[in-house]
Amino acid sequence: MNYQQAELLDRLAAEYTLGTLRGRARRRFERLCADSAAARSAVYRWEDHWSVLSRTVQPVEPSPQAWAAVRRRLFGDDAAAPAAPRVRRWRRWQLAAAAGLVAVALVVGLIVRQPAPPPLQTLAVLGTDTAHPVWRLERRLPLTSLTIEVVGTVPEAAGKSYELWALPRGAAPVSLGVLPAAGSAERTLSERQRTALLAADKVAVSVEPFGGSPTGSPTGPIVIVTNVPAAG
Amino acid sequence: MSRNEPDGAELEALLARCAAGDRSALETLYARVAPLLLAVLLRILRRRDAAEDALQDVFVSVWQRARQFDPIRGRALAWLVSMARYRAIDLQRATRPAVALSEVSTLEPQLQSQRRCLMLAYEEGLTHSEIARAVNEPLGTVKSWVRRSLIALRRCLES
Repeated sequence: MNYQQAELLDRLAAEYTLGTLRGRARRRFERLCADSAAARSAVYRWEDHWSVLSRTVQPVEPSPQAWAAVRRRLFGDDAAAPAAPRVRRWRRWQLAAAAGLVAVALVVGLIVRQPAPPPLQTLAVLGTDTAHPVWRLERRLPLTSLTIEVVGTVPEAAGKSYELWALPRGAAPVSLGVLPAAGSAERTLSERQRTALLAADKVAVSVEPFGGSPTGSPTGPIVIVTNVPAAG
Repeated sequence: MSRNEPDGAELEALLARCAAGDRSALETLYARVAPLLLAVLLRILRRRDAAEDALQDVFVSVWQRARQFDPIRGRALAWLVSMARYRAIDLQRATRPAVALSEVSTLEPQLQSQRRCLMLAYEEGLTHSEIARAVNEPLGTVKSWVRRSLIALRRCLES
């Protein structure tokens, strides 16, 4: 291999590992790596260089479900997520909600779009007051997914995310994911989310660190709590 | 991160045990590095649910590919972090909301533009054109900055 080829490989490896080599060029370089030991060693060299940068990252604790899901996918066993978690947090959270952090509950009853197929129902409209709806939640029955659409102006929350929670009666809140800042999102519900939402008479929105609660339970102020109709 | 950076020799030993099919090694490895990898994934994917799904994918791959890890060719942590970053980059287009750029562009204004380009690419997973928008420079300028920074960086790392 001549010097120019070595230079080129090194440059490609640098941009591949940095992440700026994209699309078809990225796939092409991956194929090259499968055949070329020189390309692979250039990649390993750059991976080592870059890994120094990861030391500045603040670790984020994954939710217990993530590990259970890995086990299920690899070993087929149903390592259930640890039961009875975070009771204390939940109480604190209820207190916070009661203490007036609840901005608004804007309830829209069950509006059924007719006629039925495909059944998509408005579950709730979430907003800071009745005149300012922000998100519309819709569900499909049987309950498998949730569609969340931004219908108003999402209040500015620099570096924070709004996270949606199902509040099942007598149990801890279950995250339904981070609310979109724009557009709409369709979320396929996990079994746990589905069960929680079916048992819920309310949903809530909390302000969380960017990307969502680091603990799997609400950690920030509750800005919206609203009733949801029972699953019909 | 430095206060609890996983020990490289321990990670290598855990990967070797994973390669031999020891499930408890995977669990220990997860406990050691999952929080770091999740943080890396979140920076790029910006959504908690997408990042946690990607974290699962990464650990499934770690288990399946542990045999391919060769300590001679790189450090275990670099291998694991890279696996997470590549997964995030591959998922990115499909999942990342295209909203946070203005926010990104206000990060660490004290960094020199050229170095900032590299950090935006590495940490946030931005493409050349996203970086160009974030630093408000023409695409060609950004591409050549990235290239020059990489050359300079390599010289400095290898000297």
